[in-house]
Amino acid sequence: MGNANPNVKLMKDGKRLDGRSSTDIRKIRIEVGILPNAAGSAFIEWGGNKIICGVQGPRECIPKHGADPYKAVVKCRYMMAPFASHDEHGRSGPNRRSNELSKVIREVFESLIITEAFPKTQIDIYIEVLQAEGGTRVAAVTVAAVALSNAGIPMKDMVSAVAVGKADGEVIADLSREEDNFGQSDVPVAFSNRDGNILLLQMDGLMTRGELGKAMDIAQESSKKLYKLQTDALKEYYEKPHGAKKFQL
Amino acid sequence: MGEEFKDIVLHQMRKDMMVKTFKTGQRFDGRKFDELRPLEIQKGNIHTAEASSLVKLGLTQVLVGIKFDVLTPFADRPDEGVIMSNAELSPVASPTFETGPPDENSIELARVVDRGIRSAECINLKSLFIEEGKVLAVFIDIYALNHAGNLVDAASIAAIAALTDAKMPKVENGKIVRGEFTGKLPLSSLPVAVTSIKCSDYWLVDPSLEEEYVKESKITIATTDKHVCAIQKGKGTMTRKELDNAIEIAFKRGDDIRNVLKH
Amino acid sequence: MSSRKIILPGDRISDKVLRMPNTYIENEMTYAAVVGMSDETGKFISLESCYKPVFEDVLIGIVTDVRHSGYSVDINLPSSAFVSARDMRTPLNAGDVIAAKVVDVDEVGEVSLGDIRKLPRGEIITFPPSKVPRLIGRKSSMLLLIKEHVGGELIVGNNGFVWVSESADIPLVYKAVNLVIEKAHLTGLTDNMQEFLIANKK
Repeated sequence: MGNANPNVKLMKDGKRLDGRSSTDIRKIRIEVGILPNAAGSAFIEWGGNKIICGVQGPRECIPKHGADPYKAVVKCRYMMAPFASHDEHGRSGPNRRSNELSKVIREVFESLIITEAFPKTQIDIYIEVLQAEGGTRVAAVTVAAVALSNAGIPMKDMVSAVAVGKADGEVIADLSREEDNFGQSDVPVAFSNRDGNILLLQMDGLMTRGELGKAMDIAQESSKKLYKLQTDALKEYYEKPHGAKKFQL
Repeated sequence: MGEEFKDIVLHQMRKDMMVKTFKTGQRFDGRKFDELRPLEIQKGNIHTAEASSLVKLGLTQVLVGIKFDVLTPFADRPDEGVIMSNAELSPVASPTFETGPPDENSIELARVVDRGIRSAECINLKSLFIEEGKVLAVFIDIYALNHAGNLVDAASIAAIAALTDAKMPKVENGKIVRGEFTGKLPLSSLPVAVTSIKCSDYWLVDPSLEEEYVKESKITIATTDKHVCAIQKGKGTMTRKELDNAIEIAFKRGDDIRNVLKH
Repeated sequence: MSSRKIILPGDRISDKVLRMPNTYIENEMTYAAVVGMSDETGKFISLESCYKPVFEDVLIGIVTDVRHSGYSVDINLPSSAFVSARDMRTPLNAGDVIAAKVVDVDEVGEVSLGDIRKLPRGEIITFPPSKVPRLIGRKSSMLLLIKEHVGGELIVGNNGFVWVSESADIPLVYKAVNLVIEKAHLTGLTDNMQEFLIANKK
């Protein structure tokens, strides 16, 4: 956002620059159980994004005084690899953006994980963005739900996330990097599957109330598509011997 | 690295069990003493990097991404490009890895890989010169994704595999034009690190995590087809004879790995 | 298992109240809390779960610290167990391996152990606790099959530590255990194991 530029054409003949319709989401591939040393793990390729999520725990809470005697503490770290961006080599380590994303992603899972089942412990969600192309936080939420399932962490519901927004005056689903950079608005949103509750919602840019309502409708429809992909990935994993399919980055 | 406290207290018992198994000519995972784990190399899967490689050595997984940037050269080498290596031991790779700034293990890992590449002079640094005050920097970022033993060899293989796949970025007006290239990055040799550890009277190449726990000595030797190009002795002691043997095996397994890299 | 349906967290498994592990109740209905599947009879079977010790579970533990009044024991759980020196006839040392039964689990998950015995030297293999029932098998069938072929003793802790006696063919045990990890969620595991062990017999 911030660069919203009405002169950049993001739609052509009713189609987006990559040929998608306004409600199409990019191609997605999810693989489960790719890291043997994590309690649970998953990989997502979402358009040009490639993200790994690994879960550790429940394990002893460190520092000990940070433990909650009634439930598990959920921790999340979102990190971008120095080579994950199209531009120059990034600095390693956390920054203001990654700290904020770690927090909003953690808050999604704090609402879902049945933390009372594991008092005095911590559950760690690590997100490694290896290749970024717009929409990493929603891809991270979507893949983390699969990794947590793979870890056997008890959850009340699944969650699927997508960014919707407005580009070239059109309300669209799953913003690409250009649409994110030059569009008029970006709304990452996560829905729980069963009851359709909103678990993550941010907005950047301008939209009318009507446009925002339409965007939320599109987001909710998209989250159903994503849930199907999450289900299929888990189904495939648990139908074959583990390790039979070699993880391809 | 990667040890939990229970592994430390189990040390002696585990070692006795291993040595007993070694007497049958095999290791816990069924390998011979001089045998590498299955090696798989994937190249070029990270499109935001100028080059990349995911290496799986048994269950150990290491990803390396290569980025080019334009930098000011070091004052004492005004006509040479620079190589910068860094390693991230992600907590997904082992329950014992913690978040935070690089610790001594990740710094050592990056430096050993870096030294092999630098000493072998496989990248001609003068070819990275752009114009006065501007040179290309090659960033080698190592990402450990699953630590099942011997991260350093996996990282070294991933780094050189990625470099074999690297293309020279197009430079215009002192800036990189991302996504455009001017041919391959020339490499004059293929440096590869091979690690051996000693347990009782046995030397084992490419140690598994369990074997690393019980090691008495450790040595990493990087070779090219002709030269030894970097050495890092870890803990413990060794005799001259043992060093000679470790060099011998480093060349043999190094050649095996180079053969895989060429295909 | 293509005929069996995959179940994800949040899926309703009954419109009645069923008290079973890895599920939760909301509005008098039962929902899955972990990924699982429904078997032929429609019963929910979890495919992944985090181990929670219950009364009478067998645990393998590793003594990590010797203190004045007793011992700290790593039992592959978020908090270690404490064994009072009074409960032991002979003293323990750090690095000793014990087998014990769960006597009590308190509300914060701290475990009390009973029937404690020190095990002889051997290898400790870490195994996913959620797959332990498959490693043991119906009426211990899988465990007996493995023991028969590896020439030694195995004690499987519900906590995922597996003790293997010194006399066993440890590389073969590792391979057999890995086979269970790969195929625990599939049918025909016992036949697979039988074939594998016969093929690997020296």
